[in-house]
Amino acid sequence: MASDPQKQGSGKLYDYTEGNGYPGDQQALRLRRISSPASSQNYPQFNWSSAPSEEDENGNSEPHRDLRSAPLPMALKRAIRQVQQMHVPVVSSVESWKRKKTKSLHKLKDNARGFLTLWNKSLQKIGGNFGGGVQSYFLFLRFLVVLNFVSFLLIAGFVLIPNIVFRSDGTSLANSTGPEKCMEYDPNPQGLVVFYKYFLDLLSGTGFMEYSYLFYGYYNNTLGEDRNFSYNIPLAYLFTVVFYFIFCLICIIARMGTAARVAVATGGSTVANYSMIVFTGWDYGCLGGKATKLKQNNIHYRLQVDLEEERIKKQAAALTSCQKVVLYSLRVLMFLISCGLIGAAFYCIFLATNFSQQRSGEQGILGLIFEYLPSIVITAGNFLVPLLCDQIALIERYAPSTTVIMALLRAVFLRLVSLGALLFTLWRQITCEGHTDSGACELCQYNHEVYPCWETRVGQEMYKLTLFDFLINVAVLVLVEFPRRMVVDNWPSKLAQWVGRQEFVVPYNVLSLVYGQTVVWTGALFCPLLPLINTIKFVILFYCKKITLFYNCRPALKTFRSTTSAFFFLVVLLFGWILATAVMIYSLAEIRPSMGCGPFRFLSNIWSIVPTSFYSLSTTTQEFLFFIGSQAFTIPLFVLSCVVMCYFIALASVYGKNVALLRAQLKLEGRDKQFLVKQIAELSRQLQIPKHNGVQDCR
Amino acid sequence: MGNKQTTFTDEQLEAYQDCTFFTCKEILRLHSRYRELAPHLVPLDYTNNPDIKVPLTLIITMPELKENPFRERIVETFSEDGQGNLSFNDFVDMFSALCETSPRELKTIYAFKIYDFNRDNFICKEDLQKTLNKLTKGELTPEEVALVCDKAIEEADLDGDSKLSFSDFENMISKAPDFLSNFHIRI
Repeated sequence: MASDPQKQGSGKLYDYTEGNGYPGDQQALRLRRISSPASSQNYPQFNWSSAPSEEDENGNSEPHRDLRSAPLPMALKRAIRQVQQMHVPVVSSVESWKRKKTKSLHKLKDNARGFLTLWNKSLQKIGGNFGGGVQSYFLFLRFLVVLNFVSFLLIAGFVLIPNIVFRSDGTSLANSTGPEKCMEYDPNPQGLVVFYKYFLDLLSGTGFMEYSYLFYGYYNNTLGEDRNFSYNIPLAYLFTVVFYFIFCLICIIARMGTAARVAVATGGSTVANYSMIVFTGWDYGCLGGKATKLKQNNIHYRLQVDLEEERIKKQAAALTSCQKVVLYSLRVLMFLISCGLIGAAFYCIFLATNFSQQRSGEQGILGLIFEYLPSIVITAGNFLVPLLCDQIALIERYAPSTTVIMALLRAVFLRLVSLGALLFTLWRQITCEGHTDSGACELCQYNHEVYPCWETRVGQEMYKLTLFDFLINVAVLVLVEFPRRMVVDNWPSKLAQWVGRQEFVVPYNVLSLVYGQTVVWTGALFCPLLPLINTIKFVILFYCKKITLFYNCRPALKTFRSTTSAFFFLVVLLFGWILATAVMIYSLAEIRPSMGCGPFRFLSNIWSIVPTSFYSLSTTTQEFLFFIGSQAFTIPLFVLSCVVMCYFIALASVYGKNVALLRAQLKLEGRDKQFLVKQIAELSRQLQIPKHNGVQDCR
Repeated sequence: MGNKQTTFTDEQLEAYQDCTFFTCKEILRLHSRYRELAPHLVPLDYTNNPDIKVPLTLIITMPELKENPFRERIVETFSEDGQGNLSFNDFVDMFSALCETSPRELKTIYAFKIYDFNRDNFICKEDLQKTLNKLTKGELTPEEVALVCDKAIEEADLDGDSKLSFSDFENMISKAPDFLSNFHIRI
């Protein structure tokens, strides 16, 4: 049986055949060693005859690389290397200098790759000490940091910098028409400002922070002009935000593609569980008694979970129909209860936001608490409801992996619903509950008394949510996790041992990241610098979580592969993106922009800037764009994309059938082999018996 | 490449660099770790390639290997005589195959050898039971052990001979997402 572990393109240097105890005549080196069955079975044979004859330059660094990956003993490798060196012809000094340069260039490339990827060494250390699940959380965090940073560069380049450059000059795009009352907007504070008010303003985005590049209200609706170059600032603002959303979607889907490939190759979470746990479960890098014990318990727990799932499946199949009815009705009841809990959370957030908006004029610390009331209620809800849902899950008696997935889906739903509740409440107040022609909204189609610049207000709420989320994370770290570890380590009592050190639970941490990112996406239209704030927040969070991981946490005892997979995180992130996109599309199309501030004042909705600017383009461009939007173009395009998709689906099914066929063929070959072996044994037995008789006769 | 060290000649260091995934500094550090195990046995000067072997009992006292349930099998796999006595060549080879930059194919080959307790180039049911017992240190009941072994062979065996050949093992490992990061000893 021969198996070839090298890649195709590097050139075959040697043959690797599994040793079966047949020393060939090529084994000059091996004959020197004590020939025992163990030693000749330990190592593969080496084919000396296929020495490298090619002398091309790029092939020369490859042999050295391949030698390192060769499964041969060291002494043999060194001998091969000597032989290779002898084969290399005498070259001129120029040639050898060139070879040395390519070698050092390769090394430099490898080093640069390790250097440019952010936090590579930290991630390796985390993966080595806490395993792949925790590492996947940090990899996800790194992806979000890079995404936010690139988004910030995009926004800075197209929105921020042109605004700074064209701040003073520029012609207004629309005439100032509109009722006087709607245009009253004065965010600058009057008179003397108390010192600590600056701090409160920093935390709530009001005061000196309100009329700044941070929020929508500061940007102008001007056409920046400079010699023969004009820059339409409102149009740029709109297109940048739309492009930012599309860019994030493309990044998520691209990353999902690579993660899906891994998920498909590993066959999902239910295939080959036992063999994988037994052969790849042990972490060889485990050091120290405690880590080893934990790893053992982890493997024991994983095997038990799988065995338990088998048992539950058998039990579920053995239930009588009466018991089944009872179980299913219980599950429906628990589902309704969990929906009820989420609805209750929704209602609490609604009340809190209303209360906060009513008391928004308060000063001082009390005012700050009222400002942050929605964030506080959301965080409390996100903490309490999953706890209650965990208790519900005990009654439902699903299989363990299903329980975990259900709990996570409920938590995701809860987080997104909380955010949705806050936005719904704001919408109700801004548009007077949807009736933009009655009451306070009659004059300007939005509630201009409470919200002279409603976009900035929404931006402020998102800013406060982001900031509060960050502060809570750091506060939990400092006030809960460090003291808990100090208590557990230094107070030798049964209670402390039972509570134990903090466990780093990956799925809930990932949910909090997804929630933070969704808030940033929702607020990007109203607070353009939010991606930058988020980048800084996530960078600080990375270091804080790393510190808490190493000082306070122990590895999680319960690990489920499906819930730590990168694909699962990205799917959840996509849900958040969909929510944010829905909010953005609604704000663009339906609500009238504020007349007192922002780049879209005096337009009936934000999107109408596009048709307005459209007609200022040249006629040929207009006709071209009309053609692209017309049916003559879009219908064939749609049909073509359907055809391409059908092709890929057919290709995928063909590959799947191929794999199944090959697997069946492999089984058949195995059986053929066994049959032949049996035949050979029988034949040799038949041949031996007459010989044996002959020997006996001779005696 | 340190000019001041007298442990290896430059040519030896280059040979080690080409045959393993280690740099010069790491090779010298490995030599000092090797010497720490048996200072009276291992000379400081390796320029004339002395044929010294450190016995199994001393190697498994290393902190990187001490807690590993497969420590004896690992050392036996990389030893030339199959009894676990490592020369410096084998020592460096062992840590090079198990290091971070070692490729997946190489690690798969050595993993197969480590788990093949009776060295017949197949992982049969007894090999699997021994592996499982070493992993869980007797915390599973014998019925559970038998069940897990049966299921593992059922999952991974492709050609239906109720034992795992190298290609079955390789196929199963290719689906395991954390094999590379787990099968890795840091030194």
